[in-house]
Amino acid sequence: MTAVAQAPAPAPRRASRRVREMTGQAGWTVLGWAVGIAFFIPVLWMVITAFKPESAAETWPPQFAFSPTLSEFRLVFSGMGPFIEHSAIATVGSTILVLVLALPAAYALSIHPVAGWRDSLFFFISTKMLPVVAAIGPLYVIALKAHLLDNIWLLIILYAAMNLPLAIWMIRSFMLEVPGEMLEAARLDGAGRIREIVEVIMPVVSPGLVSTALICVIFAWNELFLALNLTVTNASTMPMFLISSVPQEGLYIAHLSAAATVASVPVIIVGWIAQRSLVRGLSMGAIK
Amino acid sequence: MAVLEDVTSPPAAGLRPRGASRREKWQRRLPLLPALVYTIVVTQVPFLVTLWYSFQSYFWNEPGGAHWTGVSNYKEVFTDPSFRSALVRSVTMTAIAVVVAMILGVLLALLLDKKFLGRGVVRTLIITPFLIMPAAASLIWSGPMLDPSFGLLNWLLEPFGVHHVAWLTTHAYGSVIVVMIWQWTPFMTLIILAGLQGQAADVLEAAKVDGANAWATFRELTLPHLRPYIELGILLGSIYLVTAFDQVKLMTNGGPGTSTTTLPFYLYQKVNFAFDIGGAAAAGVITVILTIIVASFALRMFARVFQFEEAR
Amino acid sequence: MAGVKYVGVSRVYAKGAAPAVDALDLEVKDGEFMVLVGPSGSGKTTALRMLAGLEPLDGGRIEIAGRDISDVQPKDRDIAMVFQNYALYPSKTVAENMGFALKMRRVPRDERDRRVREAARILDLDPALLDRKPKQLSGGQRQRVAMGRAIVREPKVFLMDEPLSNLDAKLRVQTRSQIAELQRRLGITTVYVTHDQVEAMTMGHRVAVLSGGKLQQCASPRELYDNPVNQFVAGFIGSPAMNLVSAPLADGGVRLAGTVLPLGAQVRAAAAREKLTELVIGIRPEHLHLHLVGEAAAAGGARADGAELAGEVLLVEELGADALLHVRLVGDAAVADGPAAAEAPVVGGTPVVARAEGRKPPAPGQRVAFRVQPDDVFAFHPQTGARLAG
Repeated sequence: MTAVAQAPAPAPRRASRRVREMTGQAGWTVLGWAVGIAFFIPVLWMVITAFKPESAAETWPPQFAFSPTLSEFRLVFSGMGPFIEHSAIATVGSTILVLVLALPAAYALSIHPVAGWRDSLFFFISTKMLPVVAAIGPLYVIALKAHLLDNIWLLIILYAAMNLPLAIWMIRSFMLEVPGEMLEAARLDGAGRIREIVEVIMPVVSPGLVSTALICVIFAWNELFLALNLTVTNASTMPMFLISSVPQEGLYIAHLSAAATVASVPVIIVGWIAQRSLVRGLSMGAIK
Repeated sequence: MAVLEDVTSPPAAGLRPRGASRREKWQRRLPLLPALVYTIVVTQVPFLVTLWYSFQSYFWNEPGGAHWTGVSNYKEVFTDPSFRSALVRSVTMTAIAVVVAMILGVLLALLLDKKFLGRGVVRTLIITPFLIMPAAASLIWSGPMLDPSFGLLNWLLEPFGVHHVAWLTTHAYGSVIVVMIWQWTPFMTLIILAGLQGQAADVLEAAKVDGANAWATFRELTLPHLRPYIELGILLGSIYLVTAFDQVKLMTNGGPGTSTTTLPFYLYQKVNFAFDIGGAAAAGVITVILTIIVASFALRMFARVFQFEEAR
Repeated sequence: MAGVKYVGVSRVYAKGAAPAVDALDLEVKDGEFMVLVGPSGSGKTTALRMLAGLEPLDGGRIEIAGRDISDVQPKDRDIAMVFQNYALYPSKTVAENMGFALKMRRVPRDERDRRVREAARILDLDPALLDRKPKQLSGGQRQRVAMGRAIVREPKVFLMDEPLSNLDAKLRVQTRSQIAELQRRLGITTVYVTHDQVEAMTMGHRVAVLSGGKLQQCASPRELYDNPVNQFVAGFIGSPAMNLVSAPLADGGVRLAGTVLPLGAQVRAAAAREKLTELVIGIRPEHLHLHLVGEAAAAGGARADGAELAGEVLLVEELGADALLHVRLVGDAAVADGPAAAEAPVVGGTPVVARAEGRKPPAPGQRVAFRVQPDDVFAFHPQTGARLAG
C-alpha cells in the first residue's frame, strides 16, 4: 500500500452534521417535554392546589401566586389514620397472599409444566374477564352471612383473587426466561427441586417478582368499587377517605387536593422508583 | 429439517411431562393446587350464588329473606331500558377509550423511543397518570380541572374562545372518557415502548439500506412487529376499563340523567339504592354471559399470543 | 457498476477516544472482490458501515463511482448489504423480504416477482420456500435469503458483514466458494468483512488487513502471504500462524536455539542501520524442514547449507494430509545430552509449530531437528514491527 498523502479532515462537513443532529434532537426534546408536561398538568395542578388556602383554590382566573400553606395537609393527616392503616394492610396482605399462591402455580405452569398447563392458564386468565361487579349483590350477601362485611380480611381475600391471574401470568413469563441448560446443569450437579428453586430459578426471577408485586400493589391500593360496597368504617381504605373529604357544602377544593395528593403519593413514588422494572414486568408479562 | 424442529420444540425451559408416573403427575400438580382452589372458591362460587339469587326475589332491606320467583327478575331486566343503555354505554365507552389510548400510546412510545434530552424525566411524567389513584384522578378532574367557574381547563382554553364550559353537565360522556384515556395511555405507552425496544436494530438498518423511509419502515416492519403488543394492550385495557367504576361514580354519578351510567354503576345502584339483590343478580348473570361470548374471542387472541411465544 | 474509494476516512465514537477507523485510504476497483480482515476492534465493520451510510464520517470522504456519497442517505447510495445476523424482516415472507427494496422503489409487482424468482434460481433456493417466514427456515436458508435480498437489487456495490459467521463449519466452506463464484459471475463490486483470514485469503481478489483502526496492508492474498509488510500482517495471515521469535543478533545472523540462523545481507545491513541488537524473526511452519536427529548424525557434517534447529516434539496434531508438530527448540547441547536428558521434561526453550508430512510424523518426546533456508526467514523491527527489507 503506497502511502497516500493524508487528506485533511474536512471540518465543515463534520460541523454541519453535528448541527443537524443537534437541531433534530432539539426538536424531539421540545416535543417530548411539551407532551410530558401536558400529561403531567393535572397532577401538578393537584399538588399546587393542595398547598393553597381554600380561599385561593376556587378563584377565577386560577391563582398561581399565593402564599403556600400546609394547613390542608395537617387536616388530612389528622383524619386519615385508620384509612391509611386499612389500605396498607389490605395492599400488603393481598400482595403477599398473591405471591405465595402465584409463585408455585407459575412454577407448575412453566418449569415442570403439568399436563394441561395451557388449560389451567386459560382458566386463570378467563377469571380476569368475569367482572366482579356482576356478582356484587350476592357477594354482599355472602359477606354478610360470613360475618366478613366491613372486615379487612374480606378485602385481602378479594384483592388477592383480583390480582392472582395477572401475577401467575407474569411470573410464569419470567420463569420461562430461565435457560433450560441452567436447569439441566443444576440437575447434573445433583440439585434437588428445592435447591433448583432457591439457587437457579429465584435469582433469575426475583426482579420479575418485584415488578409483579408492584403491579399488585398499584391495583390493590387504588381499588374503590369493592371497598365502597363492602366496607363502612372498620375496613374502609384511602379511596373511601378521599370520597369522604368531599363535603356537601362549603369550599373544599384545596382540602380535596391535599387528600388526593396524600392518597396517590405512595404509589406514585414507588412507581417512579421502580419504573424500569414496571416496564420490564409489563412487557415480559406481555409477550414472552 | 430445522424448520419443523423449531416449531414443535417445547416452550423455553419447559420439560414435557412424558410418560410420567401417577406420583410424578401429582408432584407436578401440587404447586398449582392452592392457587387453583383459591381462584375457584373466591371467583366461581360467588357466580354460582349469583345464578341462584337471579331466580329469587330478595330485597335486603326488607325482612323475610329470599323466595323463588322464577324468571321474573330476567323479564324485568330485559324490559328495563336503562339496563340495555348501560350495557351499550359500557361497551362503547370501553372501546373508544381503549382505541384512543392505544393510538396515543403508540405515538408516545415512538416519541420516547427517540433519543432526546431528559427522556427519562419525560417518561416519568408520562407514566404518572397510570400510577395515580383513579378515585383521586376522578375527583381532581371533576373539581380543580373541569369546574365551570374556576377549572384550569377553561382557563387554558380561554384564548381559544372557550368560556366557562360546564364540562361535566354538557359533555359528561366525553369527560369521563377523557379521564379514562388519560389514565390508560401511559399503560399502552409502556407496553408499546417495550415492543419497540425489542425490535432488532439490524432489521431497521437493513430497511434503511433497502431504501425505506421512516413511514414505510413503520408501516411495513414496525407495525407488524408491534401487533402482539398492541393486541395485548387492547385486551388488558378492555378487561380493566369495562369494569371501571370510579370515574363514573365520582365525576358524574351516572348523570346527568343516566347519560353516563355504565354497567358497573347500574349494578351498584341496584344493590345500594334499590336494595334489589335478585335483580342485580339477574343483570349480573346476563353480563357474565355476554362477557363469556366476548371473552372467548379474546381468549382466541391469547391463544395467538401463545403461538407467537412458541414460535420465537 | 462502480469502484469505491475511501479518502482519509475517520470515525471517532467518543471525544478523546482512539479512532475506530483512522484516516483510511483504500480504493476498490470496479468489479473487484475486496475483503476487509482484522481482529475484533480493528475497525473493519465500522469502515463497512460508513460505506453503507449507517455510520457517519468524522473525517475524509467516500466515493462510489467517482461521486462523493459521504453525506448521501443509505437509500440513495445504490448499495445492498448482507448483515451478520441476516436482519431478515420477521413479519414478511421470503419473497417479500427479497422484493422489499424493489417495492420501496415502486417496481411493479410482476417485475418484482420475476426478479425474486430469478434471484432464487441463481441461489438454488427452493421456490416452495418463497412463501415461508424467515422463522421457518434453517440457518443456511436464511443466509441465502439474505444474499437474495442483496442480489435482487442489482446494486452498484455489495456490502457483506461477516455473512458466514452464523453457519456451521461445513456449510461455511461450501457457501464461501458459492459467494466467490456468484460475485465473479455477477461482476459486482463487493466489499466483504470478516475476521477469518482463511475466508479472506480464499475469497478476495485483494485483501485489506486492518488493525487498531489502521490499514496495515492491502494486496493480493499471495502477496500478503509472501511479502507481509509488518509483523502484524505476518502473524495474522496464514494458518497455522507464522512462528515469531525474538532473537539476539549474532555474526551473520541471529542466535536461536543454540545455533546461528543465517540472515540475508540486506537484512543484516538494515538491522545495522537501525542499530538493533535484537530482531523478531518469523518462519512459516512449512519452512521448518524436518530432519530426524538420527538421520542428521548419519549424514555426518552435512549441515553447512543452513542452520539446523533442534528440539523436542511436545504434541502432534494429525490433520490427515499433513501433521502439525508443536516443538520446543532447545538447541544442540540439550539434544546431545543423550538418554538422561530425554527423560527429563523440556523446560524453557522456544515453542514453534512446524508442518510435517502426515504419513510418518515423529512421536511426542522425540528429538527432532529442522533446516531452514535463509530466504524463508522474515525479520521484523522489534519495536515498530516493520519488516526489515530482505
